[in-house]
Amino acid sequence: MSGAPDRPDLIGQRIPRHDARDKVTATIAYAADWAMPGMLHAVVVRSPYPSAQIRRLDAARASAMPGVVAILTAKDVPHNTLATDVPGQTTTVGPLRAHLHVLAEDRVRYQGEPVALVAAETLEQARAAAEAVEVDYEPLPGVFDTATALAPGAPRVHEAGNLLAEWRIARGDVAAALAGAAVVIDGEYETSFVDSGYIEPEAGVAWIDGDGVVTIRLATQVIEHYRDVAEVLGVPQNRVRVIGTYVGGGFGGKEDVTVEVYLGLLAWKTRRPVKMVWTRQESLLSRAKRHPYRLRYRTGASRSGEIVAQQVEIVGDSGAYAYLSALVLLYSTVTAAGPYRVPNVAVHARVAYTNNPPTSAMRGFGAMQVVFGYESQMDRVGAALGLDPVHVREVNALRRGDTLPVGQVIETHVALPVLARRAWDSLGEPTPPRAPHVRVGRGLACNLQPYGRIVWLHDWSSAWVGFEMDGSLVVRCGAPDVGGGQASSLCQIAAGVLGVPLARVSVHISDSALTPLSGTTTASRQLYMSGNATLKAARELREQVLGVAASMLGVAAIELDLVEGEVRARDGRTLALKDVLAGCARASVPRSRLAVYHAPAGEPIGFMKVGGPDMAPHTPQTLAHGPAEPGRGSGKVFPDYTFGAHAAEVEVDTETGVVRILKYVAAHDVGRAINPTSVEGQIQGGVVQGLGYGLLEEVLLDEGVNQTTSFASYLIPAAGDVPDVQPIVCESGEGLGPYGARGIGEPPIGPPAAAIANAIAAATGARLARLPMTGERVLRALGALDGKDG
Amino acid sequence: MIPFEYHAPATVGDAVAMLAARDGAKLLAGGQSLVPALTYRLARPGVLVDINALPLADVVRTNGHVRLGALVRHHVLEESPDVRRWCPLLAEAVAYVGNARVRTLGTLGGSLAHADPAAELPVAMVALDARFAAVGAAGSREIPAGEFFRAPLTTALAADEILTAVDVPVTRGAGTAFVELARRPGDFPLVSVAAVVAVDRAGRVADARVVFGGLAGAPQRSAPAEDALRGHEPTPERIAAAAHAARRALRPETDVFASGAYRAHLAEVLARRALRTATNRALTVEVR
Ligand SMILES: Cc1cc2nc3c(=O)[nH]c(=O)nc-3n(C[C@H](O)[C@H](O)[C@H](O)COP(=O)(O)OP(=O)(O)OC[C@H]3O[C@@H](n4cnc5c(N)ncnc54)[C@H](O)[C@@H]3O)c2cc1C
Repeated sequence: MSGAPDRPDLIGQRIPRHDARDKVTATIAYAADWAMPGMLHAVVVRSPYPSAQIRRLDAARASAMPGVVAILTAKDVPHNTLATDVPGQTTTVGPLRAHLHVLAEDRVRYQGEPVALVAAETLEQARAAAEAVEVDYEPLPGVFDTATALAPGAPRVHEAGNLLAEWRIARGDVAAALAGAAVVIDGEYETSFVDSGYIEPEAGVAWIDGDGVVTIRLATQVIEHYRDVAEVLGVPQNRVRVIGTYVGGGFGGKEDVTVEVYLGLLAWKTRRPVKMVWTRQESLLSRAKRHPYRLRYRTGASRSGEIVAQQVEIVGDSGAYAYLSALVLLYSTVTAAGPYRVPNVAVHARVAYTNNPPTSAMRGFGAMQVVFGYESQMDRVGAALGLDPVHVREVNALRRGDTLPVGQVIETHVALPVLARRAWDSLGEPTPPRAPHVRVGRGLACNLQPYGRIVWLHDWSSAWVGFEMDGSLVVRCGAPDVGGGQASSLCQIAAGVLGVPLARVSVHISDSALTPLSGTTTASRQLYMSGNATLKAARELREQVLGVAASMLGVAAIELDLVEGEVRARDGRTLALKDVLAGCARASVPRSRLAVYHAPAGEPIGFMKVGGPDMAPHTPQTLAHGPAEPGRGSGKVFPDYTFGAHAAEVEVDTETGVVRILKYVAAHDVGRAINPTSVEGQIQGGVVQGLGYGLLEEVLLDEGVNQTTSFASYLIPAAGDVPDVQPIVCESGEGLGPYGARGIGEPPIGPPAAAIANAIAAATGARLARLPMTGERVLRALGALDGKDG
Repeated sequence: MIPFEYHAPATVGDAVAMLAARDGAKLLAGGQSLVPALTYRLARPGVLVDINALPLADVVRTNGHVRLGALVRHHVLEESPDVRRWCPLLAEAVAYVGNARVRTLGTLGGSLAHADPAAELPVAMVALDARFAAVGAAGSREIPAGEFFRAPLTTALAADEILTAVDVPVTRGAGTAFVELARRPGDFPLVSVAAVVAVDRAGRVADARVVFGGLAGAPQRSAPAEDALRGHEPTPERIAAAAHAARRALRPETDVFASGAYRAHLAEVLARRALRTATNRALTVEVR
C-alpha cells in the first residue's frame, strides 16, 4: 500500500449539512419547483371504485376541450406492463414477477387506480378534461379484509387467487418446547394501515432533451426506474434519463415508480415538457402504504425467563397489487422472533390481495409490524415471571455467533443488553402523576432491523471521486438524497480521506446519465453501500496522488500524508496539492477514480413462490428447517442488522384514555456515527414517525373507499404531539459500512409503538393489542367504555 | 387558478351593497377557513369582498357588556386585558383554536359566521348569552347567540348580511370554564364544553349554563345538566350527576375521528371537569 493510512479526521464530527441551509432558506429546487418553456400540465384520471369492470372509456369529449394536448389510455401505452419486483434491481429475482398495468385495461382493483392521463396547457384545463373523460364502470364485488380474501369462495382480486405469498420457518420442536415451558403467553395483535405521510407529494417534469433522450426530473428514491420507463416506451434503456431531486421525504413511498412512467409517456407522445404534481388527496388516496398485519403469537418461557419457543402467525394485506409485498413479508418472517435467541420457532406468514389500496415498501419494511408483536409478548413474559423489563431482554438477547431462526449466523457484535440498560436508566427519576385520574408508567422495546439488500440480490454501488486542477474535489454518485444527509455524508468521507476542507468539495448525485449508478436509497443501504464505494474510490485516488507526490519528492509514499490541501512528507517538506495534480497530468496518472462496492452476496435459501396474475399457482415456501444444510445456502438473508432499544415514560388519563409521552429515549448501535447530527436526526425522525404509527395514524377505509385523504383526517404527529426524544448513539464499530457504520435510516421507527403499549400496560394494567392506540381504544382496554371498537 | 373578482370596500355600507348586488359573493375576513376552501375547490365564489379594511376590530367595554368587533383577531381575544377580566371564558376558549398562525389572522366574526360545529367560539358565545349585531341590505338587527347557529356551516345570517359585532355580557358573580379534547392539540375538538356557574350566598347554584360543541350540528345547551345543578349545592356528587344527566341526553354521531359512544363518554368527563373548575372559580372569585 502506498501512502500513510488515511486519518478520518472528519468522521464523527457534527458537520452542518450543506443542504440544510438551502432547505431552510427555500433555495433548493424540489421536483415541483421546476418549470420549462412550453411546459404542459398533466393529471391522472383515477378509478373512483375499488373493484369494477371498465365497460367503456371515451375521451372524445375531453380531448376536444380547450387546451387539451393529449389524453392517453391503456391502448396508447406501447408496453402497458410495469414490473414492480425489486426496484433498481440488476439481477433476476427468481420467479418473483410482480407487475401491473401502467393504465388499467378492463378492470380496476382499487380506488384511485390510474385509468387515463391528460396533458393540457394549464393545470385547470387538464383537471377539467380529466373530469370529462367518460368511463362506464360496472362495480364488482370486492374483498376488503384478509380474512375474507383468504376464505374459500371469496371474490378473486386476481385470477390466480388471493393468496399472494407465503413463507414458513420451522426450527426445532415448538410443540414440545411449549409443552415444557413454565409460562405460555398467547397474544393477538393488529397493526394499522399507514401512509408515508411525507410533506412533498409525488412530482416531476419530463422533456425530450436536445439529444433525443427522454429526461425526467423527479423526486425519487430510485433513479434506476429509467429502465422501467424505457421498457414501457419500448426504447433502449440508454434513451431514458432520470434526474433525482432532493427528496422531501421518501420513507419507501418513492421507491416504487410514482410519476416517472406517466411523465415519460406524455413527453414521448407530445414532444413537449410535461409536469405532474400529485395533490395531497391524490397522494394519500393512491400511493402504496404500509401493510396492516394481524399477528398471532404463542410464546413459551422457562422460569428464569428464557424464551424456549415462539410460534408466530402473520397475515398481511397487500391491497390490489403485489409490489414488494412478498419481500416485505420475508423481512417479517425473518425477524418475527425479535432480537432474541430462540431455539424453537415456527413462523407462518401470508400476504393476501384485497381491493384496498396497494401496500409496499415503507421505512422498516416488514421488520416493523412484528416488533409490536414480539415486544408486547416479551413484556408479558417478564410480567408473568416477575422479571424486570431490562432483565428479561438481557437474558434472551442475541449474541455474536448465535443463529437466527432462519439459519443466519449473527457475525457482528450485538449491543442489545447495553442499549436496553442505558435507555431504561436514562429515563431518570419517575414522574409523579399530576392528578388522581392520571397514571404514569414506563415501557421498553427492542428491535432488530436488517440493513442492506437481501444477499441474493447481489447488491452493488459505485462512486466517482476526482480532483479538479485547483485541488477542489468532486464526488459523483447516483445515490438519491431523501433528506437523511446521504450526499453530505459522502462528502465527509471523501474529504476526510483526501485531506480537503469540506468547503472545497462538490457532490453530484442522483442522475442516471451523469453519475455512476449506486442503487436505491432504501433498505438503510445508502451510507453502507455508497459510503463504502466512495471510501474505496477516495482511498484509491489517494494512493494514485501520493504515488506521484512520492516520485516528485523522491521518498516512499508511506512517508507522505495528504492534509489541508497539501502533501506533507515526514521530513517536513510539503508540496501544494495543485502542483501534485499538475504532476499527475504530466505523469499520465488520472486525478479521479471510479470504484464499485459489492455487498457480500449469498445464494437464495429457498425460492420464492408468488401468486397473482399469470403466475404459477402458489405453493408455500419453507425458508428454514432445522439447522441450515450444507450446500443448501447458509441461511444468510441479510448482510447485517442494526439493534436498538427504546424506553418511554407515558401518562394515561384513565377518564379519557388519552396517552401523553413524558419522556422518550432511543438507543441504537450505529456502528460508527459518520455525522452524529445526521444520526440523531434519523433517530428522532424515526421515533416521531413510529409514535404516529403507535398513537395517531390510520388509513380508514369503507369497503375500499378511503376516508382519510387529507391531513385533516389522516393525522400525522404535529409539533404538539412530539415529546423531546433523547437519542443515545452507541458505536461498536462493527457495522459493514464505512468505518464500521451500520444503517440507521429505518431502525428507529420499529420500537415506539411497542414501547408505548408496554408503558400503558405498566401504568394501567391494560394491554393494547391494536394500533393506533387512540384514547378511545385505551379506554376500551381499560374497560371504561362499552360498544364496538371504532 | 380559477379567476374571481376581488374588492376591498372601506365601509360596511359598501360591503353590504356588494354582497347584495352579486350572487355568490363571499366575504373574506382572516381567510383561515375560506382560503383552504378555495384551495380545495370546495368554494368557488365569483366575487371576494375583503372586509379587512372595515373599522370592526375594536374591543370596547360598555355598561355591563364587552363589545367585540367582527374583525377582532383570535390572538387579540386571547390577550386583551378587558376580555381576560370581563369575559375570561372567551380568552380560555380561543386559546384552543388552531395554532398561533391561525390565531394571528383568524377573526371572531369569521369563526362565528363560518359556524363549524366543532369550533370553540360559538360554544362560548352561547354559554355567555351573547348578542350578535348584523347589518344587511334591509338594515341592522340583533340576533341572540342561542338562535344564531342553525346547522353545520349554517347561521341565521342572510346572504347579504354582515356580522359586525358581538355584545358579550360581562361575567359577574359566576365562574366559567372551557374544556375540550382533540385528537391532536390544535385540532378541532372531538368534544368541547363551556360551563358558567353562579353560586348564591347560601352556597347554592343560582344559575348554570352548560354548552357542548362537536356533538351536533350546532352548539348544544344541556338543560338536564343545568336543571340538575340549579338550586343545589355544587358538591362533587351533584356535579357528577349533572354531567351524567347531560350525557344521557346526547346522541353524538360516529365519524373518522371517534365513535359516538366515545364522544358521549368524553362529554360527561369534560362536563364534570368544566363544572368543577367553574364552580371553584365561582367560589373563589370576589363577587364584582
Ligand atoms: C390549521 C387550522 C386550524 C384551525 N383550528 C381551529 C380550531 O381548532 N377551532 C376553531 O374554531 N377554528 C379553527 N380554525 C378556523 C379558524 O378559527 C378561522 O379563523 C375561522 O373559522 C374563520 O375566521 P376567518 O376570519 O379566518 O374567516 P374567513 O376564512 O375569512 O371566512 C370564513 C367564512 O365566514 C364568512 N365571514 C367572515 N367574516 C364574516 C362576517 N363578519 N360576517 C359574515 N360572514 C363572514 C366568510 O365569507 C366565510 O364564509 C382553524 C383553521 C386552520 C387553518
